[in-house]
Amino acid sequence: MLHSLVWLIPLLPLLAAGWIGLSMVVGWQAGEPGERATARVAMVAVLMPLLLLLLLDISALFRAAPGQLVFGSWLASGDYRILISFTLDAFGLSMATLVALICLLTLAFSVDYMHREAGFQRFFMILSLFSAAMLLLVTAGNAVLAFIGWELAGVSSYLLIGYVYERKTAGANATRAFVTNKIGDTGFILGIALGFLWLGGVEWPQMATGSGEVEPLFNGLIGLGFLLAALVKSAQVPFTPWISRALEGPTPSSAVFYGSLMVHAGVFLVIRLEPLFAQVQALLILAGLLGLMTALYGWLVGLVQTDIKSALIFATIAQVGLMFLECGLGWFELAAWHLALHAAWRSYQFLHAPALLQLLSGPGPCAPAWLRRRTRLHAAAVQRFWLDAMADWLLLRPTHALAQDLQDFDQRVVTRMVGLPDQAGNLNSLARWEALRQGRGDVDTAVGHGRGMAGRLMEWLAKVLYWFEEHLVLQGAGEGLKRAIDLLGGYLKRIEELLGQPRYLLLLIMATFAVII
Amino acid sequence: MGILTLLLMLPLFGAALVAAMPSDSERAIRSIALVTGLLTLAIAWGLLLSFDVQLHGMQFAEIHRWNPRMGTSFALGVDGFSLPMVLLATLLSFVAILASGNIRQSTKIYYLLMLVLEAAMLGVFLAQDWALFYVFWELTLIPLFFLIDRWGGANRHGAALNFFLYTMGGSVFLLISLLVLFDIVPGHSFSMAEIAKVAAALPEQTQVLIFLGFLLGFGVKMPIFPIHGWLPLAHVEAPSPVSILLSGILLKMGSYGLIRATGTLPDGVSALQGVLIALALVSLIYGGLLAWRQSDLKAMIAYSSVSHMGVVLVGIAALNVAGLTGAVMQMVAHGLVAGALFLLIGLMYERTHTRNIDDYSSLVRVTPRFAVLTTLAFVAAVSLPGTVGFIAELHALIGGFQRWGWLVLLLSLGVMISAAYAIRTVGRLFTGPVSARMRHIPDLRGVEMVAASVLTAGIVLLGLFPAPALRLVSASVSHFSSVFGV
Repeated sequence: MLHSLVWLIPLLPLLAAGWIGLSMVVGWQAGEPGERATARVAMVAVLMPLLLLLLLDISALFRAAPGQLVFGSWLASGDYRILISFTLDAFGLSMATLVALICLLTLAFSVDYMHREAGFQRFFMILSLFSAAMLLLVTAGNAVLAFIGWELAGVSSYLLIGYVYERKTAGANATRAFVTNKIGDTGFILGIALGFLWLGGVEWPQMATGSGEVEPLFNGLIGLGFLLAALVKSAQVPFTPWISRALEGPTPSSAVFYGSLMVHAGVFLVIRLEPLFAQVQALLILAGLLGLMTALYGWLVGLVQTDIKSALIFATIAQVGLMFLECGLGWFELAAWHLALHAAWRSYQFLHAPALLQLLSGPGPCAPAWLRRRTRLHAAAVQRFWLDAMADWLLLRPTHALAQDLQDFDQRVVTRMVGLPDQAGNLNSLARWEALRQGRGDVDTAVGHGRGMAGRLMEWLAKVLYWFEEHLVLQGAGEGLKRAIDLLGGYLKRIEELLGQPRYLLLLIMATFAVII
Repeated sequence: MGILTLLLMLPLFGAALVAAMPSDSERAIRSIALVTGLLTLAIAWGLLLSFDVQLHGMQFAEIHRWNPRMGTSFALGVDGFSLPMVLLATLLSFVAILASGNIRQSTKIYYLLMLVLEAAMLGVFLAQDWALFYVFWELTLIPLFFLIDRWGGANRHGAALNFFLYTMGGSVFLLISLLVLFDIVPGHSFSMAEIAKVAAALPEQTQVLIFLGFLLGFGVKMPIFPIHGWLPLAHVEAPSPVSILLSGILLKMGSYGLIRATGTLPDGVSALQGVLIALALVSLIYGGLLAWRQSDLKAMIAYSSVSHMGVVLVGIAALNVAGLTGAVMQMVAHGLVAGALFLLIGLMYERTHTRNIDDYSSLVRVTPRFAVLTTLAFVAAVSLPGTVGFIAELHALIGGFQRWGWLVLLLSLGVMISAAYAIRTVGRLFTGPVSARMRHIPDLRGVEMVAASVLTAGIVLLGLFPAPALRLVSASVSHFSSVFGV
């Protein structure tokens, strides 16, 4: 009975998000009076799944965990089938309970924290959306559903980083974080596609059994895709910089996104795919090494941070790095425990941070003496090892330059050839319209005038055909026929007139006689 | 008296009534014409109730011996090819009569001629005897000549004469072909069925020659490049209601006759398939490009008709199920689209007294109903999905592709050209700066709105739910194409 309700777990927060969004559009719950109802809807929608999960937990304690639950198929095309399925084994169940609990606490915290903020409803909508996404991610029974949760979490994090969209940095940081996350998404999609191709499906159990039967190389490629996704989502070296930019959002959101839940999503994915990774030693070593580097990086950079949120975030990624190290060493269960405990502890710290600022006054902490003595290391730590600048230099600037070149090419060559109106005209159509209204600006009034290469060709061809039509078809055949008939008629009339005169009639009669004789 | 005879006689009866009326009672005359048109429409659409879509042969057939010594008979019947045409003809005739409210000059003769014209057109689609067919075919000329010559635009005399000469010229070849066939039939008969039986057994060379006669006769009407010279003049000079009938139905008579001739001379057509597709594609592109170059709106629609009838010819030339279905559907589609366009542009002309596209602008604010309906009609002319034009062109495209492969890409090129002039026209008419002269144009009024929305509703409905129309033609089309082994 309980098992058949599992699909409600991610759906309820999603519905809550939809409802809040709808009421924002319609204007039901606007402003301060609407805060109560909004918060209540959002919290109930997370509370219900939490209760459901707790009941499932209790029944799992006495009997076995539900395991893989299938509710039907979402789409089927040829051999590709994607099921609506949920994996509620011991790991998934406990993770889901943890997620629901932290989301609920964060929502409860936000009711007061966000009180009288302009975007109260918007914040709760995105937080509900995020809850739905995380619950879907941890309960999903296959990689595709998990990916949906994964992406929704990314989108809601984007929306929350850009929460104060009036600030320019907020928008820029949100975009940067989102785009960095996309790198991981390619890995995820690659993993899904290769999973379909080589493992026969992307249900988690199917992938686990399938991975035992294929070549290590195939396993390695699939695993590499998923590992890339995990590394990016969990902000491991070298993808770390996006997470410090993500602190732009309101505190409660930072707590759930980067303190406790979303940053662990990568670790969750690795643990979920344990059977697959266990087949490929090289990947585990890679994960472990990167984890170790991240732990060191987080520790060093954290030492020189002066504000509390940054210090916390670097401590967080150091811990997450340790989890990757544990996974790399094969201690997946330890990593899972570490994950759960760390998530709970860190969300407390993040939520507590604003209050802590009130308690502590005076200058922020400064770096320990041994670090200050090593000036180079200190500088590197302060600069966060130039990872951001490196990404700019390696990726951003070449891309930008290439885009610029392409745009130039487009404007100077393609646009002219195709005959599109130039960009300046398109960009500001209102001004252009105004210019047209006042009789300025370029309007092609001539019908049958084409722009661009195809247009010119058409114009030339139409001109030739028009000449043909005018001279041959219309005048030649139509008018010409009439003229010929007129001419002929004229001659006949003339003959008729001549015949009407007696002398010619006589002549004709005589001629007839002559012929007869 | 059978139902088809009734259908045929009803407009003539209405015409007689109109003739009996005193010429100053304009209202009564118009009412009689309207009621007649509506009754004819009702009877024609009533045929659908008892028409069996499973059968491919003639239904509601009637045969009365007419002149035994000549072998002619008064034979009527409908099948999947002619019934859509009959429905279209009655609908467009009614719409044309409805849209004639602004004809003020000698209304009595005008409506009389319109009703006679309707009867003659129905006769062409119903006739099952080539002699009867030919009589009705020629009969359409007489009312049309006077309609253009008396109520037309500035250059109406030239246009009417030109139209008459062209069509008569084509008819001569048509008649020669018919007489040759008549002579070949052992019992000397004009019956379509009997002629078809005998003609199919003729040697290919003979069939080709006879078919060329048909092609000339029907090609003028259809029209096919390069014998379309009468069309731009006649369409531009004719009064709008007559333009509706001209492009909506008269052109379909040509393609309908061509389909009948194709069924009669299968080997000849198979031999000429290449010529037909070449003519079709040339017409398609030629008409499109010239339409693009016109600044006179009516001339533009006239040339676009040449282009659209090219699609019909592509379908016929393909000789397979998809192609022929596309041909019939395109005939229906073009009837509705061209009818709607001529109607709307005609109504617009009555208000603005200009047909030059450059004089128009920003009408969407002044006349929103005009804008919506005209845009819909133009969009259907480009055969956008959701309009009947799409269904038709898709079938023709598939049929052509099955037969000729990538050559039908030229058809897509034609569609692109039609998009160029249709979108340009919509843009010119309805968007842009507000012009002072166009600021006080009245929008569509009650009756005009009804007439225009009937046609556009047909365009959209058949575009969204084409299944009934396709079912109507499917039995006849599949039987027809089975003769050609495809």
